[in-house]
Amino acid sequence: MSDVVLDVHSATKTFGGLKAVNDLSFQIHAGEIVSLIGPNGSGKTTTFNLISGVYEPDSGDVLLRGESIAGLRPDQVYARGISRTFQMLRLFSNMSVMENVLVGMHGRTQANIIDCMFHTPRMRREEEVCVEKARAILAQFPGRFPESRHDQPASSLSYANRRRLEIARALAGEPKLLLLDEPVAGMNPMESMEVMQQIRDLKEAGHTILMIEHDMKVIMGASDRVIAMDHGVKLAEGAPKDVANDPAVVEAYLGRRGADTAS
Amino acid sequence: MTFEHILGLTISGLTVGMIYALIALGYTMVYGVLQLINFAHGEVFTVGGYIAATTLIYTGVDATTPLAAKIGYFALALIVSIVLTSFLGWMIERVAYRPLRKQSRITALLSAIGMSIVLQNLLVIIFGPEPIIMPTAVVPTGFIEVFGVRIRLLQVIIIVTSLVLMGLLAWIVKGTRMGKAMRATSQDMEAAEMMGIETNLTISFTFIVGSALASIGGFLVAMYYGSLQYDTGFLYGLKAFTAAVLGGIGNIYGAVVGSLILGLAENWGVGVTLGVLAWLFVFGLIAGLYVQILRAPGERVSHIAEEFRTPEYERLIRSQYQLAPVVAVKTLLSERTDALVHVSARHAVRLMAGNIVLGFFAVLFFMNGEMQFASKWQHVISFAVLMAILMFRPSGILGDNIQEKV
Ligand SMILES: Nc1ncnc2c1ncn2[C@@H]1O[C@H](COP(=O)(O)OP(=O)(O)OP(=O)(O)O)[C@@H](O)[C@H]1O
Ligand SMILES: [Mg+2]
Repeated sequence: MSDVVLDVHSATKTFGGLKAVNDLSFQIHAGEIVSLIGPNGSGKTTTFNLISGVYEPDSGDVLLRGESIAGLRPDQVYARGISRTFQMLRLFSNMSVMENVLVGMHGRTQANIIDCMFHTPRMRREEEVCVEKARAILAQFPGRFPESRHDQPASSLSYANRRRLEIARALAGEPKLLLLDEPVAGMNPMESMEVMQQIRDLKEAGHTILMIEHDMKVIMGASDRVIAMDHGVKLAEGAPKDVANDPAVVEAYLGRRGADTAS
Repeated sequence: MTFEHILGLTISGLTVGMIYALIALGYTMVYGVLQLINFAHGEVFTVGGYIAATTLIYTGVDATTPLAAKIGYFALALIVSIVLTSFLGWMIERVAYRPLRKQSRITALLSAIGMSIVLQNLLVIIFGPEPIIMPTAVVPTGFIEVFGVRIRLLQVIIIVTSLVLMGLLAWIVKGTRMGKAMRATSQDMEAAEMMGIETNLTISFTFIVGSALASIGGFLVAMYYGSLQYDTGFLYGLKAFTAAVLGGIGNIYGAVVGSLILGLAENWGVGVTLGVLAWLFVFGLIAGLYVQILRAPGERVSHIAEEFRTPEYERLIRSQYQLAPVVAVKTLLSERTDALVHVSARHAVRLMAGNIVLGFFAVLFFMNGEMQFASKWQHVISFAVLMAILMFRPSGILGDNIQEKV
């Protein structure tokens, strides 16, 4: 298929003796929202780390639009067009809201050290363009980032807005693929629904999204396809309803919960 | 103690403080991005001074050289020193720190100490153990008169140059793309990398900027004192590091504030009599009493939950502070288990003890008001200041955001 954006090809990652991701393969197509689900510790975040260059797969490959990105540094992967958000927020909390988004554009800007030192007209122009773009990105979250908040430190935002800002920062890289690690974690149901709508809007705007989620409402409401994994292995893949009712998936969740209550 | 005397000491203090700041910025920036104390930084400073002095000696500049040529040689020495020292700083990171990035922090620290020793020995091997003498012909010798005090022109140059460099650095960090990358890297290197920042490049840039500042510092010190020795950077490095910790390591404004405090304390400390210090303790005591009688009780009372807010309860909390130790000690001895009351009582007793100590020292110092510190106390004073401040603010004066990332 020609519209494959991401192709994870039998990737494996071990920590000590633990196979956190074990011979995992899946594909993401352009314009899709795919949810990655699975019990705690099943290897979802590790999969994200493999895709975004934090880890190199022990074996297997990760391809972005047909080109291997396994073994590249995270900043190189970012420059190729994969940006992400984090399960535990990792904003630059001492920087302003605007600066956080501008940092997301860092890899995209051309100005070099010489430009910076001498503040060349080229750089000034570029800076203005960046600020304009950042404004436009922040405006995609209506009412959440009014102009008056742009210069406030990111740490002053509410929790939900910080999660939104992480998405905005990731969008600044003009990604071909957006990785969202539990975008609604810690939000109340109303906020979750709002973010879910936002994710759908991003899809409308042409983005391709792979997200990790635990919230069933969000998974059912937003995703085109669901991939379930456990112990680093893919259990099921398909339409949200089918995966949710897949015996192996139900078993993995229930089994784990049973083990949790037992311990 | 005359006004002229104090002004003179202040200028000396600012001069030394600025030089500490030029070095301290390197320590603090590197700590910011790598959480590493670059122990070799003091030697980088020495090398900067040596390179400048050597260049000038090599040009053969002397008193008969025309002014224009002198300025040219001066600029040449400055540029050669900045370029070579920056290269050295860059190389230190590549050779001694980058390969150990994934190892434990203590490994990198040992590597830093090793690098510092290697550089000192290289200086001895290349230049010998005797001090290198700065050609005096290029050192500005003029004086300017301010309020009847003669100030060396060189001191003014040092202070102004440092201010300009700090302004430049503040602009780089705040206003440029590289500065944003530095701040992002120092907050969360991994996340910065995943947001497209080339962290290795950023780290190299940090080392280069820090070393350039240190080299200028080395040049200025060589001019100020007329000579440099292979181990000059050890004490300067230690002082600058102290200043960086004092200001809050990792914070560039903190490094400057800490350096100035240290420089001023050293110089004032030497000239100041105990009688003057006693007034400081008096001010401390006034502040302490303000906290004990007005601020602390007000804050505590605001902690009382809505449903427990009775006038008696508030009065009890307040009286613990204001009538300490009587009420507070009674509370501590009694069987009451209310957490807020207990914590407040302990707090009140501690505040009271602090105020008594301040008052005691004020009286003691007033009684020996004529006594003076000798100049060999200088180092003791600077570390005493450090200890005193860190006791109240373990993270340093401006350093409340180091531990922020989680
Ligand atoms: N850097 C690491 N070193 C060692 N073990 C790791 C590391 N990162 C993850 N693991 C282990 O790999 C397994 C998978 O972890 P991962 O974070 O990918 O799970 P997850 O599916 O994201 O879980 P959660 O839903 O709790 O976020 C876990 O057992 C975890 O302890
Ligand atoms: Mg996870």
